[in-house]
Amino acid sequence: MTTVKPILLAEDNPRDAELALAAMEEHHIADKVVVCHDGAEVLDYLYCRGAFASREPGNPVVVFLDLKMPKVDGLEVLRTIKSDVTLKPIPVVMLTSSREECDLAQSYALGANAYVVKPVEFHQFITAVKELSVFWGIINEPPPDSSASTN
Amino acid sequence: MAFVAPQSPVMPITPEPAPGTSQAPTPKNGRLMEWLTHWSIERRVLAGFGLVFAGIVVISAISYRNTSVLIENSRLDSKSHELVQLLESVSEALDATERGHRRYLVTGEESYLKFYRSTVEQMPEYLRYLRGLTNEWPEQQSRVATLEALIDRQLDAEARAITRREKDGYEAVRHLALSGAAKNELERIHSVMTELDGAEQRALQARVRQSAGSTRNTIALLGLGALLQLVLLASVYFLIHHDVTERRRVAAELENRGELLQAANKELEAFSYSVSHDLRAPLRHIDGYAALLSKAAGEALNDKARRYLQTISDSAKQMGQLIDDLLVFSRMGRQDMLRTTVNLDQLVKTVLHDLHLDLQGRTISWTMSPLPLVLGDPAMLRQVFVNLITNALKFTATRPEAKIEIGATKRNPSEVEIFVRDNGVGFDMQYVNKLFGVFQRLHRSDEFEGTGIGLANVRRIIHRHGGRTWAEGALDQGATFYFSLPVARSLK
Repeated sequence: MTTVKPILLAEDNPRDAELALAAMEEHHIADKVVVCHDGAEVLDYLYCRGAFASREPGNPVVVFLDLKMPKVDGLEVLRTIKSDVTLKPIPVVMLTSSREECDLAQSYALGANAYVVKPVEFHQFITAVKELSVFWGIINEPPPDSSASTN
Repeated sequence: MAFVAPQSPVMPITPEPAPGTSQAPTPKNGRLMEWLTHWSIERRVLAGFGLVFAGIVVISAISYRNTSVLIENSRLDSKSHELVQLLESVSEALDATERGHRRYLVTGEESYLKFYRSTVEQMPEYLRYLRGLTNEWPEQQSRVATLEALIDRQLDAEARAITRREKDGYEAVRHLALSGAAKNELERIHSVMTELDGAEQRALQARVRQSAGSTRNTIALLGLGALLQLVLLASVYFLIHHDVTERRRVAAELENRGELLQAANKELEAFSYSVSHDLRAPLRHIDGYAALLSKAAGEALNDKARRYLQTISDSAKQMGQLIDDLLVFSRMGRQDMLRTTVNLDQLVKTVLHDLHLDLQGRTISWTMSPLPLVLGDPAMLRQVFVNLITNALKFTATRPEAKIEIGATKRNPSEVEIFVRDNGVGFDMQYVNKLFGVFQRLHRSDEFEGTGIGLANVRRIIHRHGGRTWAEGALDQGATFYFSLPVARSLK
């Protein structure tokens, strides 16, 4: 169980992050969550560089990606992930406030695996985050870790 | 009094012309100008054309008349010249006859009678010709008649003298041979001929003067006509130029405004994007932390504090709903529109099917008239019916039996009018203008739920389809909501 794959939550807003973690806590998956506060940090984590240079290698089980983030925005991160052969298998769920058609279209065009609009209502939000975490973190069988085999 | 009376009407006349001439035209001109400026450009051009056309017609008529006079004069002239020539010939013939006749009387030589015989033979022809040439002028005609009689008498006298010479010999006609057989007649003949000739010459001269006058007249008129046409061309050029410049200016302005509008639209899009993204986050936090708080300290809180927390949550949710509605409304205005044939009957059926959960436990009598086919965006038109029908359902909730009628009227061939009528709580017509506004509500939110965006969406969708929306109602008497849609040519 030491090699349990983490969930990567990219969320620039600490309150949203806290609320998301509160939702995940109920299912005891909060401790498997790595929170990144901007797009650059997400890429650092995925490529094991900067602050994450010494982390255990391996891809996260899922990436929850906010669209609007400082430095590198969600769509840019998504583009990078989906155009990199080793990162491409990671499921990416867009978790955002935007319901704009162009955002939806662009996300799916870049290869997002799901698109979830954050509900304003906390109970709905909590349900959404819980269900997502349970589905992607527990129910869904992740792709075989190609980076582990190369190491 | 008797002296004053005749003076009073005279008195004002003397001072009046001065202001009358100097002041009266100014307001008259002003009114004329005002009147003209109210005219459309087409009307002004037409009026100008009409005036100039009338001028040209008058000029043409006068020129035509002048030219006819010239033609008539030249005909009369040639007649006069012929007459003058003919008179000369007649005169010469008569002189030659007289001379020949006298020689015959003296010598008895038959060959001297050659002129006499030919003149006698030709004279009727000459006279007929003369009568023909003077037939338009009675005065000359009577002179010709006199001439005819005199010539007859002269030729007659000569004939008699010739007979006597043949019968009685030279002695009998000696005095005649010396003085001439009809000396008096011949003299009178010459004087009548001179009269004829003189009258004809005078008429000729008069006609020459008249022709010259009317030629000058015609030239002047033609000049005036050319000038008028020039004025016409110039004014037409001016008007068209003015119009074209104005149109160019308007087109440039329109283009400019279009660009501004596009920029404003882009800005609005960016605005609504940031609203959708940024405004919802704090709301989520308010609701989230309120929920976390009630979970963490729920046991320790009293009822009042729990109610406060609930109110915080409810308000945040309500604002979230408002923002979502606003975003839908804004998207409705920007979204690309489809244009396909939409079967409204089918559309209403599916809407009612989708609403069947809301209809449970309600007694509703539906009246449906057949609806036409229209051109439009099916999803948007569906939204219109969803909004209108849920409104009707909502505002008839207090009625034991709701009556909802959906139908269409076709008042003119270019558009159809569709209505949704209910027997609900209705509204006061005094607020009819507020009905279709964004977030305008005519009822308290604890009476009927809703944010007040539904009818605003209806209006926006119908406007984008090129139609109109309006409503009729009375307080507690139900309401009717109408919208019109233009009918496509192919669907008429």
